[in-house]
Amino acid sequence: MSVATARDPQVKPASPQRAGPRTAAPQSGFAPWKDPAKEPFVRFENITKRFDDFVAVKNVTLDIYEREFFALLGPSGCGKSTLLRMLAGFERPTEGRTIVAGQDITALPPYERPVNMMFQSYALFPHMTVEANIGFGLRQEGMAKDKIADRVDEAMAMLELGQFAKRKPHQLSGGQQQRVALARAIAKKPRLVLLDEPLGALDKKLRQQAQFELMRIQETTGTTFIIVTHDQEEAMTVASRIAVMDKGDLVQVATPGEIYENPKTRYIAGFIGDVNAFEGKVSAASEGCIEIDANDGYKFKTRSTEPVTVGQQAWLALRPEKIRISHDQPVSAVNAISGKVEDIGYLGSISHYHVRTAAGERVTALRANAAHTVERTISWDDNVWLDWPVDAGVVLTR
Amino acid sequence: MSSSSNSDIRRWYVIAAPYLWLLIFFLVPFFIVFKLSLSDVATAIPPYTPTFSWSIADFVSKLDFENYTFIFGDPLYVNAYLSSLKIAGISTFLTLLVAYPMAYGMARAPKGWQPTLMMLVILPFWTSFLIRIYAWIAILKPEGFLTMFLMKLGLITEPLQIMNSTTAVYIGIVYSYLPFMILPLYASLEKINPALLEAAQDLGSRPWRAFWQVTFPLSLPGVFAGCLLVFIPAVGEFVIPDLLGGSETLMIGKTLWTEFFNNRDWPLASAVAVLLLLVLIIPIVLFQRQQQLEREAGR
Repeated sequence: MSVATARDPQVKPASPQRAGPRTAAPQSGFAPWKDPAKEPFVRFENITKRFDDFVAVKNVTLDIYEREFFALLGPSGCGKSTLLRMLAGFERPTEGRTIVAGQDITALPPYERPVNMMFQSYALFPHMTVEANIGFGLRQEGMAKDKIADRVDEAMAMLELGQFAKRKPHQLSGGQQQRVALARAIAKKPRLVLLDEPLGALDKKLRQQAQFELMRIQETTGTTFIIVTHDQEEAMTVASRIAVMDKGDLVQVATPGEIYENPKTRYIAGFIGDVNAFEGKVSAASEGCIEIDANDGYKFKTRSTEPVTVGQQAWLALRPEKIRISHDQPVSAVNAISGKVEDIGYLGSISHYHVRTAAGERVTALRANAAHTVERTISWDDNVWLDWPVDAGVVLTR
Repeated sequence: MSSSSNSDIRRWYVIAAPYLWLLIFFLVPFFIVFKLSLSDVATAIPPYTPTFSWSIADFVSKLDFENYTFIFGDPLYVNAYLSSLKIAGISTFLTLLVAYPMAYGMARAPKGWQPTLMMLVILPFWTSFLIRIYAWIAILKPEGFLTMFLMKLGLITEPLQIMNSTTAVYIGIVYSYLPFMILPLYASLEKINPALLEAAQDLGSRPWRAFWQVTFPLSLPGVFAGCLLVFIPAVGEFVIPDLLGGSETLMIGKTLWTEFFNNRDWPLASAVAVLLLLVLIIPIVLFQRQQQLEREAGR
């Protein structure tokens, strides 16, 4: 059996339960965006931001619900940070409105917004101790000294910072600074916390730990988190929903599983994970099944509800892990092509096989290294067959 | 072997050069002045006694601290020191008040503008200091530009009596030493990460409070360096009080000059000079320490 066939045959609509890398959802069935009666907590209404000639954000309308962990994902310069900074109040939208908890905050200065931000550079005050940094926001409210101390202790306990209370930021490691920055952002118990590439400065191992810490904090405090990141794995790990942005446009808003399994465009498919895309023309479309004549002569059959017309240009997008790779010609496969192994990327748990098809196309297949053996059964220059079931691919028209 | 000892010698030269410079141009003159301050006035050339002789015991026995006891006994000198410190202190504070907004503006200006603004701050150094002070006479005197300008505007009817007063000295010092305040302030303000101010505002701090809680404390090294760079030379300032000040402006630099050139009392003048150095040693040491800390923090 191929690694990818144990799936629900009905691809669309995707279940609200998260698929993909994240296995356990914090609250099962948490999907307020599917409830039409639910008021969004944060609403961007036709937001456009222009800097001179450059349009950073183009007419974005987006609803984010209470207790969501929402990710804005995209490459640098796609407008995701600008959108976040408009929510924090550091930038004013050229057009449109921002609404938080039913209140129009478009014209409010940052210091009057019910929002706290964690900065990419952490922006810790270098002349203040960890304690003073975390208590800064509370002091601005004129809270009583002993109450501030209690709240600071609470935030420090939550992030295990107690032993560093009297240190200055430059006496801390990167990971510790990151935790101080997070503690400072949640110390005022805001209903909305913004995170601007919060883990960008950490190394991979630490970043993974920090991601789970973020999720833990978000769940225990019941706060709405909006994170900006260019790291798709990070977005998939932490977020309840992801908004993918490209050149100022919002291209897709969906759960991580839905975005991975049903990307709307080739851009998204390529940005989130690896993808093989075969270009071709629709030759038949009926009963939720689409046939594509690929440009290199292959014929593929895929289950899809994508509205297409015969003759239309389309791409078949196929995740590497959904392709089965074998030496023998599959007997009853719907979609099968042959080729020669060009490259093998051995990553320990899995291996990537880069196969050059007879038509000259390069296809990547992925296989879990299930057997405990150093010998690889499939080797360089082997002639192999690639096949995938009818529900493995996605038909894209853009 | 020979090459390594060669480089040792070269290194020794490099280290020795600045110390030799200090020895010849600072330490030796200082000892000459110090020796002078222990001498007595004489109607002779040079106008003091004893002059140096090889009978060391005899020479040393003629030296005494008479000039110092005289200075401490005469309120004129003590007052001149105190008044100098006061005038220098007040003008340092005024310079800070004028320089801070300018440095802040420079640090917040678009990056492309900053070299030009820096250039404008340094530009006055292209003209002689003395000429610039003379120019202030033309501005401040009763029939000067300032009076004429304000009269034209109808703001005053009588000529301003600023010239030859302590006010004129303040104006002169603030004007002359402004760049020395602006540059270190700018250097420390420019280093502040703008995200810190955003963070302060994000946490609920209004801009004015954010300034006092974040920007100002972080600019303190610059404030400190700038104040010392203005205060130290201002204490011993001679030209500005001499040209712009009046009879009531008492400053030690002017007293020193009077002793040397009007009274030809070199020993007493030298004692005044040595005491001035002692008065300034505290701020100078503070300044050195501050620079040291800055360097260490920068690493």
